[in-house]
Amino acid sequence: MDGLTNSFGMNSAGSKKAIWMEKIKQEAAVEQARALIDKVSDNCFDKCVPKPGSQLSGSETTCINLCMEKYMDAWNVVSRKYIERIQARDI
Amino acid sequence: MDGSSSTPDINLNDLSPNDKKELQQFVTNEAQKAKIQSTVHYLTDMCWKRCITSRISSGSMDSYERPCMENCVDRYIDSQVAVLKHLDKLRNSS
Repeated sequence: MDGLTNSFGMNSAGSKKAIWMEKIKQEAAVEQARALIDKVSDNCFDKCVPKPGSQLSGSETTCINLCMEKYMDAWNVVSRKYIERIQARDI
Repeated sequence: MDGSSSTPDINLNDLSPNDKKELQQFVTNEAQKAKIQSTVHYLTDMCWKRCITSRISSGSMDSYERPCMENCVDRYIDSQVAVLKHLDKLRNSS
């Protein structure tokens, strides 16, 4: 009941709460994106640019792009699996 | 959305006790989610180094890599459980 009232912004304290929640969610999303970009850069640089030349070559760039997609694929697989284990409560 | 962005222009003390409680619960939940995501980052990084050993030639994992990633997560958790179990045993026998 409370949640319904608040989600329609019918009382000011409720909408202030909503602002905080939105803010916290945004911060979490930014942090999440930052962590992913860090890991992708690390691992894909490792994988695709073993011997850095005078510039990033075409094949290195292609490799980085594929690697990025692959890393996100891997992230999703791990996330699914990990949550599955947590929910099974055998951890 | 940079780190220097200010907090919402409201005072937490303006909130009703009920709203405060709800907000607190919300923060606890978000912290829990963040913790899980941070573990997923850690596991992805570690398992990637173990399982993605050949040249990158596709934007998704192949039929060897996918099960390897899944097994990696499962076995890591198994190992964690095994460590705790053994620790318990050592503690009880001393």
